[in-house]
This record gives sequence, structure tokens and C-alpha cells, in this order.
Amino acid sequence: MNRMKAFTLTGFLAFILVLSACSSESGGNSGDSEASEDSVTLTIGSWRTEDKASYQKIIDKFNEENPDINVEFKPSKNTEYNTILNTALQSGEGPDIIHLRPYTPGIELADAGYLEPLDDLEGLDQYSDETLAASKGSDDKQYGVPLNMSTTQMFYNKKMFEEMGLEEPQTWDEFMELNEKIKKEGKTPIALGTKEGWLLSLSHGIIGPAHYGGNEFVDQITAGETDFTSDEFQSSIDAMDELKQFFPENYEGLGMEDIRTMFFTGDAAMFPLGSWEIEVLREMNPDLELGFFPIPSAVGKEPTITTWVDGSYAINASSEHKDAAKKFLQFMTTEEFGTMFTEEFKMISAIPGIESEDELVNALGKAAEEQSTPYMMLVHFAGGNPSTKATIETELQGMYLGERTPEEVAKTVQESAQSWYEPLQK
Amino acid sequence: MKPATNSNSVVKIKKERNWKRWTIHLFPIPALLIYGLFIVYPLFAALTYSFFDWKGIVRGEFVGLKNFKDLFTLEPFSGLFWNAFGHNILYFVLQMVFQNGLAFILAYIIYKKVKGSEFLKIAYFLPRLLSVIVVGFLWKLILNPNYGALNVILEKLGLEQFQKAWLGDPDTALISIILVNCWYGIGFGVLIFLAGLQSIPKELFEAGKLDGADGLSMIRKIVLPLMVPSFMIMTVLTFIQSFEAFELVYAMQGSQGEPYHSTDTLAIYFYRLAFGGSAGGSTTAVGLGSALAVVLFLFISFFTALYLRYMQKKQVDM
Amino acid sequence: MNHTIWTRPFYYVFAFLIASISIYPILLMVLSSFKTSAEIFTSPLSLPKTFNLDTYRNLLEMIPFTTYFMNSVFVSVVSVLLILITSSLAAFYIARFTFVWNNIIFFFFLMGMMLPIKLGIVPLFILMKDLNLLNSLWSLIFMYVATGIPLSILILTGFFRTMPRELEEAARIDGAGNLRILWNVVLPLMRPALGTVMIIQFIQSWNDFFFPLIFITDDLKKTIPVGMLSLFGEYSADWGALFAGLTLASLPMIVLFFIASKQFMEGLTQGAIK
Repeated sequence: MNRMKAFTLTGFLAFILVLSACSSESGGNSGDSEASEDSVTLTIGSWRTEDKASYQKIIDKFNEENPDINVEFKPSKNTEYNTILNTALQSGEGPDIIHLRPYTPGIELADAGYLEPLDDLEGLDQYSDETLAASKGSDDKQYGVPLNMSTTQMFYNKKMFEEMGLEEPQTWDEFMELNEKIKKEGKTPIALGTKEGWLLSLSHGIIGPAHYGGNEFVDQITAGETDFTSDEFQSSIDAMDELKQFFPENYEGLGMEDIRTMFFTGDAAMFPLGSWEIEVLREMNPDLELGFFPIPSAVGKEPTITTWVDGSYAINASSEHKDAAKKFLQFMTTEEFGTMFTEEFKMISAIPGIESEDELVNALGKAAEEQSTPYMMLVHFAGGNPSTKATIETELQGMYLGERTPEEVAKTVQESAQSWYEPLQK
Repeated sequence: MKPATNSNSVVKIKKERNWKRWTIHLFPIPALLIYGLFIVYPLFAALTYSFFDWKGIVRGEFVGLKNFKDLFTLEPFSGLFWNAFGHNILYFVLQMVFQNGLAFILAYIIYKKVKGSEFLKIAYFLPRLLSVIVVGFLWKLILNPNYGALNVILEKLGLEQFQKAWLGDPDTALISIILVNCWYGIGFGVLIFLAGLQSIPKELFEAGKLDGADGLSMIRKIVLPLMVPSFMIMTVLTFIQSFEAFELVYAMQGSQGEPYHSTDTLAIYFYRLAFGGSAGGSTTAVGLGSALAVVLFLFISFFTALYLRYMQKKQVDM
Repeated sequence: MNHTIWTRPFYYVFAFLIASISIYPILLMVLSSFKTSAEIFTSPLSLPKTFNLDTYRNLLEMIPFTTYFMNSVFVSVVSVLLILITSSLAAFYIARFTFVWNNIIFFFFLMGMMLPIKLGIVPLFILMKDLNLLNSLWSLIFMYVATGIPLSILILTGFFRTMPRELEEAARIDGAGNLRILWNVVLPLMRPALGTVMIIQFIQSWNDFFFPLIFITDDLKKTIPVGMLSLFGEYSADWGALFAGLTLASLPMIVLFFIASKQFMEGLTQGAIK
């Protein structure tokens, strides 16, 4: 009896093995298609698993002009993308075209020699210097083609505002007032949770400029003429602290999913997130009347929308198909691509002057051009280990939990920046 | 049977015996080969990273023990290290009590053939079948402060004062994760202890009964001593796993040790150093990360070796 | 010892309470897989309104589940077989024979658990590249065997040591070689331990997502966990599909467990006490 069982089990296993080996063999053969003489296959690595379908359309368009260049968009899970990419690059492998994380992480790859310089690429001159800076190496060579601008601002529920008789605030005091009013009506004014640190530097990216004085401050601090313990910056931290009265109940335990749900179900009136949320929100609740407003300044300056380049495309220095890859990147600098990109992805193209049919995206794009201030922590202070950006995230988190005072937050941020940012090290 | 007295057959038998004795040394070779090539070699290659300076992911010059020194003397590295280390100790203690302690009790109950033992066995082991990602995801939902099952149930029981933002409050976040880990691992403990209990020969119990021993002293005199292999396995395993705790913490709270450093463990800290945080804007410190891994390894191996030697002596005494 | 504890209600209640805590989250997952996204948010704790299989149907259209399934089966089955073979041989050697270097070898194997394997990912990647195993299911198999050996040896060695020597001695006198002894005498008595190792290692290989994530780039070669991970990003809006995916990903393990537990865990008492 035992032997019979053993035999049948082994036989069954052997059968499965043979079956699987066959299927994975044949799957394998069709998978890594050796390029026929004239056609080439490029792989694109990215973290945007959400955009797979949209990229297929882009690729189809590209293939109209370039039929013998096959392009495969192969995204990896967002949270693991850096590990996967870095491991492959360090081993001499990796996709032909790489979706670069903005600023420091991407530049790190360039400085390590894993990317191909693109200075001779057509179409690079249409981008502003700030846009190109997101993927410019420390050797001053350009390594990436900017893809899109992301913005972060206050989204709001138009219907709720209407019902409560509220209007977009023009001054900081008006902003605080409408928060109070919403709270009195029993709704949550701002949908923000503090469980996930990255949300905190993001919302500081919105609120901060209103208090530290926008672009002027950024210019000063990047030149080392002021620092994070200055009154201006301190007041931005104090403001973050003050706003917690308008966060939802149990905000310490709420993460991204929770606050997004609160907003699109109409429990909260405002949502301090990024432009990439537009598509997601609409999918979750197509009836949501979504609006945004630039944050009014508390120090008498202009209202601001916080912007940054949110990804560029680069070429793997060890790719075997650099010419083909360059063609694809070149396609990404064309107006044709820009328009298609904005339509499909509902994001703001980094190519200047692209208009979108989507009213909201269009308005956002325009505001981004006219009233922008950079997401300072991401653009300038993502270096160091732990990075200054990560430091402000943890410190703000500690502040909301009552473990840190706003002064301690500012001081720790300054210490972090001083440890690696040269202009602040004098 | 005629005894083999003539010298030829004696030599033949001796040769056979030698051959058999010699082939035994081949037994561990396959395991050693695969393990050596795919685990030992890459790990030790990577451990050497700790002796170099790293700029991002590019290796710089040889710096000897500088990374180790920085890890223990520079802030914020030192503070983060000891913070994480304390968390790992808590991890170990809680797992020993709530995972292994409970597992033993449950295994004993099942061993006594309680009605429904089959169901119990399956129920306890079911969580272990899930992927850690799924476990983390499900429990994040359950622990959600506003609509998670735990808080909802507490409310229904009239125990609102115990409601908390379990994963958002630094006082409860790590403990919640550890308890979820116990939930996950208890089934394995039950299996191991059950297997251990079932390998105790029944005759011993009969003999004990004849000697007039009652339940509790039977446990003390017969069960516990014979369960030493099972205890040893679970203790060593739990020790190693709790100091290497990563997967579930990562699944539930990400790699930043949030909220406010309260869920940081040594392996999570290692991941942050060696691979950067998981979000868009973090940098890597490969040298420090490797140094941390070396320190962790030395710590775990030292204490495990001590424990194993101690247990070996004890077994010999038995 | 014959007294049944179920006459002591405390232990009974205790055991079943813990059992319900063990089961609840899984029940939650399965029930949610039958709900629509809206239902999941508005009434998370209640029974689903309908039990239709729409969410599952949607899911199977979005993801090549059968391909992932066959890949997972292949990888896990081969891995577990290799682990059992290599670990039994090594554990027998360590447990039964008192060679001077045995403790060192045992500890050598344990060391593998004391380091985060992620540490070595870059040398590993290069190794796989040099062995031409990148993007091949065999890269996964070798990793799972290598990472599974330490735990398996720990468990098996522990249990091999508890075995009475008399049987072995008898077999040896009869002229049996070491391999024969292992196969005919030792292993049959070790069924609980072997069963445990088999189940644990199968789970380990089946549920791992890290190595497929790093080594496998071809969509058709992916295993179930990686395939399911994509659900979190690509289809984040459809919670019903998400839960259906999680349930489907867990189902094979649950089914296998039911089958295997009957094989290895029932009737153990027979073999063990002899």
C-alpha cells in the first residue's frame, strides 16, 4: 500500500514536472525572441504598473514611423523598483530604456556611469533648465528626457464647497476660516493621515512655500544664505502643526488609501495630494466634482502650486540597442508624443506648450506654469543618508505624535542638510 | 553458515565495509554544494562591501573598519541601530511567549485528542499558508482605526476605550506587528511540538502511570525532557527569525520604520541603508548596510552557537 | 493517558477562540472577494450580497493565471524534492555520525539563516547571469533549495537524533548500506518531520516574491505571487478583483495542505512509536 502510494505520487510529480518543463520551455522560447535581422526589441523599465495599457498606445504610435523597433513596457512594482533596477544595473544588465526617479536617485545612477549621455539628442533644447536639472548628471551632461511635471496642491470637493457656501481662498486667513467652517459643519476639512511619512513632506511641499516665502526662500537656501532654523522656515513647520486640528480623527493611523477614500466618498472637503491622483479619483468616483486651488501665501506673496519633474527617461549605458533607444527617446520630445501623453495619462507633459482637452489638467498645467514653486525637499534636499527629505518626514511624523516640537523638527532638518549639502556647510 | 575464515573473503568484507563507510561522507555533499554556491558565496562576497567606502552604488576605496565605527559612533546611525536592536529583542521575547508558548499549549491540547483536533490543527496552520504580503495587507485592514474589524468589535463589546490607531501609534505599532507575526507562525510551532509529542513512546506514559505519577508531573518528568529537540528547534529558529525580522514589518509598515522609528528593526534598517528607502527620494549607503549585516550576523551566530553547545551538554547529561 | 480534556471547558474554549482568530482574516479575504468595490468599503464586515463569480472572471481575464500557476507548481515541486533529498542526506550524516567536523557543518548550514539573503543580491544576480540562469525558473529553484536547506537540516537533524538506534543497528548487522538504512529504516519513521519540512518548504517556495521579482523579467515566466503583486498597482481601483486575486493565490496552498495533512499527519502515531 505504501509503495503503491509512493509510486503514484512520484509518477504524478514526474508528470507535472514534464508538463511544466514543456510549457515553460515553449513559453521561454517565444518570450526572449531573438531579434530577426532588421528588427530590434527594446525594453522599458518603470515603476508605473498603472500605465501599462496607456504606454501600449504610445508604442503603437511610435511603431507607425518605426515599424521594426519592437518596444516592450515592463514595469515593476513601485516599492521594489529601485532595488530591481539597481541590482540589474550593478550586474551589467537592466532594461534598455530606464524610467528615472526624479533628481537625486536618478542622478546617482548617472554619476555611477550606468546611463548614456544624451547631449546630442534632438529636441532637448525646448525644455527649461529647471526641467532638465532633474536628470542632469554632476558632470553637467544631460542623461534624461523629462517626461512629465507633477504638481501638488489642495484638491477640493466642489460640491461640498458649494453646499457650505465656500469659495476658493485668496488669503491665508480665508483658508483658515474655511477650514473652521467645514469643521463646524461636522465634516473633515483636510484629508491627511500621518502614518505614511512621504505624505507629510508632500503636504509640507504645499503649505511650506506659503510661509517660508516661496521661490525667494528656495533661492536663498540653495545658495546657503539662510538655513532651516530661520524664522521663515520655522513658521512653515509651525503652520503644519497648527493644521492638525483640521485633520481627520485618528489621523496617526491613516494611510494613503484611507485618506483618498475619505475624499472621494465626500467625508472630507480637501485633499493635499499630487496631480497623479486625478485619474485615480475619477476612477473611484466618476461623479466627484474635482477642483483645486493654489495655496494662498501667509506672508503677502503670490499663491503657489508646487511643481517638479516627476520622471525622465534615460538610456542604459550597457544597452545593445542604443541607436534604436535614442530614436524612441527622440520621439518622446515631439509635440505629437506630448499631446498623446497628456491625453492618455491625464498628466502634465514636461514639453512646454502642450494643451490638454481635459479642463482640469489644462487649468493645472497653466497654473503650474504661472504660479510654480519647486517641491524643495525632493528637488534639492533628497541627498544624505538618511536623506534630508526622509528626515523631515520622520520629524513631522514625530511632531504629529507629540514626540517632537516644531523647533526640534526644524533643528534636526538643518542638522541633516548640513551633513551633506555643501552650501550650508560653511 | 560457514564462517569466512579464509583471508581473501575477510579482506573482501573489510573492503566492503570500508567502501560503505567511505561513501557516507558523500551524503552531505549535494547540500553543501548548492548551499555553498548560492548562499555562502554571494553573502560573503557582499560582506566584503563593508570594508569599502561607497558613493551611492559605486564602490570607492578600501576603508577598513570605518563603516563599523561610523555605525556605532556617528549619529543618526548609532541611535537608529540601538533603537532597532531594542525592537528586535522585544520581537524575540514576545514571539517566544505568544508564538511558542501558546503553540506548545495548543499542541498539547490537540495531542490529548480534544474533540475537533483535526479542525484545530488545520485552523492554526491556515495562516502559515498565506504569503506574508497577504497577511500584512489583511491585518492592515483589520487594524484600521476607523473601519477595521478590531476597533469595530471593540466598540460592539462596549470597550471603546481600548480602541486605538494600532499601526499609527508608536506605542502599539510594533507590538501589533509582532502579534500578527505570532498569529502567522503559531501553526508551525504547533506542528513541530505535535511531532515532538507524538514521538514520545507510549510505554513511557504507561510506566509513569504505574509509578503513580499524575498529569502535571508526567509533563515535567516525561514530556518536557523528551521534547528538548523540539524546543531547541523552535528556540533557535525564533531567535534567528526575530533578529532577522523583515518581511512582515515591511509588508505592514514599509521600510522607514514608521511611525517615528517605532517599527524599525535591524533588518529593515539594513534594507534602508543598502537599498535606499522604497519611495522616490532616498539614497543608499551600501557600506554601512553591509557593516550592519556583519554585526547582525556575528551577534546571531555567537548566541546561537552558545545555545547549541549548552543544549548539547544538557542532552548528553540526560 | 486517556483522559480527554474536553471535559475541561476552559481549554476547549481557549483552543477554539484562538482557532477563530486564526481563521477570521482568511474568511474576510474570501468573503470580500465576492463583493464589489463599493460593498467592501461600505459594509466590510458583512456577508456579500451575492456569491457570483464575476470578480474571479474579471480577474482571470486580466491575468494569465494558469501560466503563473504552472510555473509556481514546477518551481515548488522541484525545489521541495531537491530539498528533501539533499537535507535528509546531510541531516542523517550530521545526526547519526559523530565525526569531528559535524558540529561545524551543522553550524555552517545554520549560518545561512543568520544573514539577510538580500544582502547578497548583486553577487547573486551576477552569478545567475554567469550561469545563464537569468529569467529562468531554475534560478528560482536553486535559490529555494539553497535557502531551504538550513531550516530543513535544523528540523531533520533534531528529529533524527530522537530515533532509537536499535533498528539501525539491526539493519546494519543484516548488511544494509547507509543509503538503504536511510531509505528503509530512518525515513519511514521520520514521516512527521519530513511532512513538516515538505509543507513548510513548499509554502516558502510558493509564496516567495522577492527572487522572481529580481530574476524574472518575462511575464510568462512569472510565478503566482509576483503576478498577484501586479494587482496592487495595475488594478488598484478594483478591490473585489484584488481580494479574488489574493484568494486565488492562496487557494493552491490551502488545497495542497488539506491533501498533504492527511498523508503525513494522520496515522503518525503508528510509525512514530514503533
